[in-house]
Amino acid sequence: MLDIIRYFIFRALRNMRQWPFLCFASVLTMAVALATVATFFLVVVNIDQLAARWTKEIQVIAYLKKAPTQNNIASLTRKLKQIPEVEAVKYVSPAVAMKRFKTHLGNDASLLEGVNKNLLPASFELGIRPEFRNQAGIATVINKLENQLEVDDLRYGQQWLERFNNFAEMLRFVSIVLGGFLLFATLFIVSNTIKLTLYARRDELEIMALVGATMRFIKIPFVLEGAIQGLLGGLLSLGFLALAFVFILNPSLESFWLTPSGFNLIFLSANQQIILVLSGVVLGVLGSLSSLRRFVRI
Amino acid sequence: MAMIQLFNVTKKYGADSAAVKDMTLQIAKGEFVYITGASGAGKTTLLRMLYSAEKPTKGQILIDRQNITRFNSRQIAFLRRKIGVVFQDFKLLQSRTVYENVAFALEAQGKKRYEVSKKVYQALKEVGLEHRLQRKPLELSGGEQQRIAIARALVVDPLILLADEPSGNLDQEVTFEIMDLFKRANARGTTVLLATHDHSLNKRFPRRVLTLEQGKLIGDQQPLAV
Repeated sequence: MLDIIRYFIFRALRNMRQWPFLCFASVLTMAVALATVATFFLVVVNIDQLAARWTKEIQVIAYLKKAPTQNNIASLTRKLKQIPEVEAVKYVSPAVAMKRFKTHLGNDASLLEGVNKNLLPASFELGIRPEFRNQAGIATVINKLENQLEVDDLRYGQQWLERFNNFAEMLRFVSIVLGGFLLFATLFIVSNTIKLTLYARRDELEIMALVGATMRFIKIPFVLEGAIQGLLGGLLSLGFLALAFVFILNPSLESFWLTPSGFNLIFLSANQQIILVLSGVVLGVLGSLSSLRRFVRI
Repeated sequence: MAMIQLFNVTKKYGADSAAVKDMTLQIAKGEFVYITGASGAGKTTLLRMLYSAEKPTKGQILIDRQNITRFNSRQIAFLRRKIGVVFQDFKLLQSRTVYENVAFALEAQGKKRYEVSKKVYQALKEVGLEHRLQRKPLELSGGEQQRIAIARALVVDPLILLADEPSGNLDQEVTFEIMDLFKRANARGTTVLLATHDHSLNKRFPRRVLTLEQGKLIGDQQPLAV
């Protein structure tokens, strides 16, 4: 048994050595194809992450008709915190609001001299949990707020939220469509390359069948070769991806005008890197198997 | 004892073009038989059916008393280990050495390495090429290449040797050398079927002759004197 396994590995390696160009072509094709898909994945993941950053700013501000009494503030805060979509509650008294406004005005703060300290309305600033930072989530919060508070006005960046929602939706749609195309193209190119490499060796396949090799005996070394090439292709694609990340993705996304400062681009996680390399192996094996079906007939 | 038996075998490729029509014949163990006929008479189709590269459209084929028409791919592989095949175009692997080409047939059967090297050397010695082990086929003459192919066919000690126009590309002198190899294999007990349209072979080495015409067996002559 061990002898047979050793023989299969020996034959797979010998095939690769005997046909270095074919081997190189398969490995490179798989590497480029996988790196393309992975780069696309990386761009989508990073934009998605960026988008998630923007939504951190989302909050609902409820301006109250009357400032609550000191006792009421705590109970109102507690009540608001019980809304499942709400992450954080902050009460802003008229005085605090005035102070903020003054800071905001900077040098022109003197304009506010003599103005009634309670001119500005009291408000609650509500942070929203990440999973509800969308139109539907905000709508629920607003509905609940209107039932619980005497609200004068609500601010939550409605227009911005709408636009953001459209953007996120579009991003999802484009990534599914483009990703699907890319994946399909990858499978197509890889299986055709493998088919070509097998076509160049159809004599060998034919003679093996002629001298009484069983299907399994013919196929295993080729499938093994596909797996080895897939592994090499996967590793190479990881290298390509790292290069693309450092030299293309990183600089271009960093100069992207909407990228907040301190935003770190993410590379594939360790698991995703393993998946990338393994998908090279799977691609090689499946490509070999599907092509062998056409060339090996007993 | 019959080694090869055909019962009403027909092979059709299209709807009405039959390459072999209703053929019934029997070849005994250890026989040497020529199959002759013009191109397209069905010689190659007949041989291909014998090593199960084609399945007959109708009829039954028995080899060594086993009905091969119902064989699955695994059984076919094992059948081929008992049959050596030699072609006009040699079908050698040009990227492999002489040794590797012959060893291929044994490796395909999963034989052990020491066993392989011993048998390959013997087979190459038998065809007089033991000094060319490490050469590539294209460095050798046509006659030598055909001898490699014959060594590959014989290295497995086959019950049957099928040869399809083995001398088609070779000159007379080399052809006779190769015929000698076939005769020697036959003398060791291998049943030999040789498809050819070269009548001079039969004149020099008279044996039983099956004549095909348009897929039909039209003649079955025993040699006048053996």
